[in-house]
Amino acid sequence: MSDRVAIVGVAQTRFSPKRADANVAELAYEVIEKVLNDTGLSIEKDIDNTISCSHDIWDGQTISNIGITDVAGGHLRTEEKMAMDGSTAAYYGAVGILSGEYECTLLLAHTKMSQTNRHIVNNDAFEPIYSRQLGLDFTSAGALQARRFMHAHGLSREDFARVVMKNLGNAMANPLACRFGYYGLDDVLSAPMEADPLTAMDAAPDVDGAVAMIVASESKAKKITDTPVWIQGLGSCYDDYFLGDRDLAECMALEKAAAQAYKMAGISNPVKDLDLIELSDEFSYQELLWLEGLGVCKPGEGARLTESGFTSREGELPVNPSGGVLSGVPANVMGLNRVAEAALQLMGKAGERQVKDAKRAVAQGHTGFCGQHQCVIVLGNQ
Amino acid sequence: MNQKNTVTEQICVPMTVDVPYRFAAGKYMARFLTELRDNGRFVGVKCPSCNRVQMPPRVVCAACHVKNDEWVELSSEGTMVGFTIMYLPLTDPTTGKPHEPPFVYGSVRLDGSDSTVEHMVNVEPDLDKIWVGMRMKVVLRDREERIGDLSDIIHFEPLPGQKRPQ
Ligand SMILES: [Zn+2]
Repeated sequence: MSDRVAIVGVAQTRFSPKRADANVAELAYEVIEKVLNDTGLSIEKDIDNTISCSHDIWDGQTISNIGITDVAGGHLRTEEKMAMDGSTAAYYGAVGILSGEYECTLLLAHTKMSQTNRHIVNNDAFEPIYSRQLGLDFTSAGALQARRFMHAHGLSREDFARVVMKNLGNAMANPLACRFGYYGLDDVLSAPMEADPLTAMDAAPDVDGAVAMIVASESKAKKITDTPVWIQGLGSCYDDYFLGDRDLAECMALEKAAAQAYKMAGISNPVKDLDLIELSDEFSYQELLWLEGLGVCKPGEGARLTESGFTSREGELPVNPSGGVLSGVPANVMGLNRVAEAALQLMGKAGERQVKDAKRAVAQGHTGFCGQHQCVIVLGNQ
Repeated sequence: MNQKNTVTEQICVPMTVDVPYRFAAGKYMARFLTELRDNGRFVGVKCPSCNRVQMPPRVVCAACHVKNDEWVELSSEGTMVGFTIMYLPLTDPTTGKPHEPPFVYGSVRLDGSDSTVEHMVNVEPDLDKIWVGMRMKVVLRDREERIGDLSDIIHFEPLPGQKRPQ
């Protein structure tokens, strides 16, 4: 049994609005080939398990991993898909290695949002008799959550817009980002309204892309790289399925997932113990809400942290120095991209978006509307 | 209100889950489809490690975990390795229309390929008139009617002058 699990390699595509030049398997192979080359590993000799993350309805294929098993090392070998967010692939990859069953696991997340319609795919996530007929999707449900969150703490659209400004500004330093720029408050506030209070700039854009990662046991990891990033804590928790059973201004599932991960990692004070956070800001307001769930601030106080620069890349606790999901990361891929970005920071390989002296980070991913399922992963380079 | 657990009416809500897609063929299949459309020929890829010729062409030889990059032209003739006579009206998802039964699906290994291709076979749906090992040729639409998808293949049909082996 392995005591520790490390991330030993990461590869990501650029995220673009439409990759008509590549099918799903080719897109996946771009990152698989790169992560294998970068680490000097071979599927045949080194990789003993593959876990991929994708979604049947996004992919338009029953059992969406069928199309990528050939390129992901699943041919006459094992390959497992999970249909949740990519952060959960990292969770299961780590659990498999901690169990002693596997030594070196390839993780993959891929989605081409361009090949279908986000609103229809997301509508199919809702319960068919009670909610789906309304046409609800993640944007409309997110807007209900945003409004409830604003009401609970007296927040404004400007508070959310500052998250967009920070993250798209951070994305200027990220060569993989699809949406970036230095925007003013008015730019965000006057963007086309999608579902009040959320404009098109408050929502992540549709993009295509893939992320691959290799995780290994401690003994294997030390042979592969001088800069292993240790998975120090894991947490996972579901909230209620029906929106009406939850107070959408709260994020109990994230609090519970974070508590599990922090306990495992020995974190008692996240603000003091963490050097950066990569969280899944599928919508602007979520960054503020998830900061509460991650124990960074008291309810309603995330907006002040953003406004004061506390969460900027140069601040006390940088949040989404990569630009986050608002800069354009596909559904299903977004959580593995969070883990990858946090890992790159801790490897010291984050290029222009590097946070100084980063030793410990947390990555957060969620699945479903309004963050129903939450996954938290604590990473460290010591 | 009546608190007894009475049997209520059964309600089912009809709903069509209608999701539109536009699938990218990708680099390898785009070349396959354009060769078929423009030149009326089949191309596959040959694995640099095991020499297996794969059709449809794809980025990786799954058996060897290596990238395929050698292209080979295949014959338009081949051998039937399996078939079925269909009695269910299966739907073509590009048109939404059913294929009228009975009809025949065949698996044909084109000469020069290690893989087979599955398509309709233009033969009477009669077990005396179809057999494994039958020699087949592909029938394509006329050049000006080909559009760059699998419908450019109309069907396979038997090469003339064959007798069922006894
Ligand atoms: Zn091969």
